[in-house]
Amino acid sequence: MPSWAPLSADQVAEQRRGLSEEQLQHRRIVNINAETVTDVSATDIPGHYGPGQDDSWDLNRFAQQLRIDYHQNRPNDAAFSLIGLDASIANAFRRILLAEIPSLAIEDVFIFDNTSIIQDEVLAHRLGLIPLTGGTKGLKQLRWFKKPPPKDDFAALAVYDQDDLDPSASTPNDHNTVVITLDVECRWATVEQDGRDGKQLAVDGEIDPTVRYINSNVYAHQLVFEPQGEQVQWFSGEDVIRPVNPDILIAKLRPGQRISLRCHCIKGVGGDHAKFSPVATASYRLLPHIEITAPIVGSEARKFQRCFPRGVIALQKDPASGENKAVVADPMKDTVSRECLRHDEFKGKVKLGRVRDHFIFSVESTGQFASDELFLDSVRLLKAKAQKFKRHLSELEEGR
Amino acid sequence: MIIPIRCFSCGKVIADLYEEYVQLISTPQPGTDGDLMPDGEAMDKLGLNRYCCRRMVLTHVDLIEKLLRYNPAEREIVKIGQRG
Ligand SMILES: [Zn+2]
Repeated sequence: MPSWAPLSADQVAEQRRGLSEEQLQHRRIVNINAETVTDVSATDIPGHYGPGQDDSWDLNRFAQQLRIDYHQNRPNDAAFSLIGLDASIANAFRRILLAEIPSLAIEDVFIFDNTSIIQDEVLAHRLGLIPLTGGTKGLKQLRWFKKPPPKDDFAALAVYDQDDLDPSASTPNDHNTVVITLDVECRWATVEQDGRDGKQLAVDGEIDPTVRYINSNVYAHQLVFEPQGEQVQWFSGEDVIRPVNPDILIAKLRPGQRISLRCHCIKGVGGDHAKFSPVATASYRLLPHIEITAPIVGSEARKFQRCFPRGVIALQKDPASGENKAVVADPMKDTVSRECLRHDEFKGKVKLGRVRDHFIFSVESTGQFASDELFLDSVRLLKAKAQKFKRHLSELEEGR
Repeated sequence: MIIPIRCFSCGKVIADLYEEYVQLISTPQPGTDGDLMPDGEAMDKLGLNRYCCRRMVLTHVDLIEKLLRYNPAEREIVKIGQRG
């Protein structure tokens, strides 16, 4: 057998037995020095540690190592540790969360009347950014709306194949479009309708527009969902389509100004427009790793503690000398500022790093779906994409 | 001009927090002799943790309030005031 031949799982286990736990742990660390960062790439590549060793990816080993610990799980903000996978996979999840999970947002706005000082296009853009929510089941079964290219865009029309498309996908219907309307008009407050005379109050020096006028502020909760066809079943009662944040300020009006419009909401992906992204942010950082190689005691320990954010380093009474000794309490709170590397007294006593395969994920949903559910969706989507790729490969092999 | 719906950088919705923010920093805190809440504390309270979202409300200039004054309603007030 040639030296580069892949090893069996048994052979790998055999070789790994020769390595101490410490040596294996060391391979997971990215070193962070005062000026440089070293060991940044993963080493689980065939033959990385010489011809005798095989650290290639192995499904069984992966399944054993993979771990997910939730730190907090609120619908709008989830934080969890994803341990034991490569940065390429973790980053794929993050990018899928940002750009590929579909969600519902306002896409077309038909403006019948807009005499406010917010221009039509600005108003339409503001409306588009409002996150919507509703019955999750109904939202999930919503179909795609395929926009036909504009009639004067001949280049796009040439590529656009009409036979290939389901004609109902490019006509708005109850399966692909949600209709929302907004009708507000601002007026003076009157005694008959509101119990106060806005005009008189204004003359008397009242400056608060909400007292002087009615509907001086237009809020997101004034958007009205108009169910079409079968949508009554999916989006009624608690499941009605509504803005996640009812108090979003859309526009400000003065007496006589009026906004009357109808919005068509469709399903889209974040890669097309950020308004379709189901998360405000999805990000991760690597777990900081602090290793104290020589004891730091006494006043130095206190100084060392102050080099880190609060709670990272704890002081422990050393029973032998009776002095305080610095110990690592919670590396997760560290920001890896490298402050401790600037002081000469800690030279050679501390090593900073990050754990390469420990991702502290934070997913902040805009509210259409729960954050933890979105992460599971990203895993499902990556799986579906991999299966599609595999299918294409086998088709290529078969020469189809 | 008017407070943006979302943070430019991260996409967090901020348009529903601005009015509350102005309210927080302009009303005297209870239990003090008329002290106002510092801007930073108000933003912490509203859950604006990242600096991208904090700059959105901290540095916003609400110009729409000025533009709204170019309006027949303002003239009406003057007219009524002169009459009375
Ligand atoms: Zn932000």
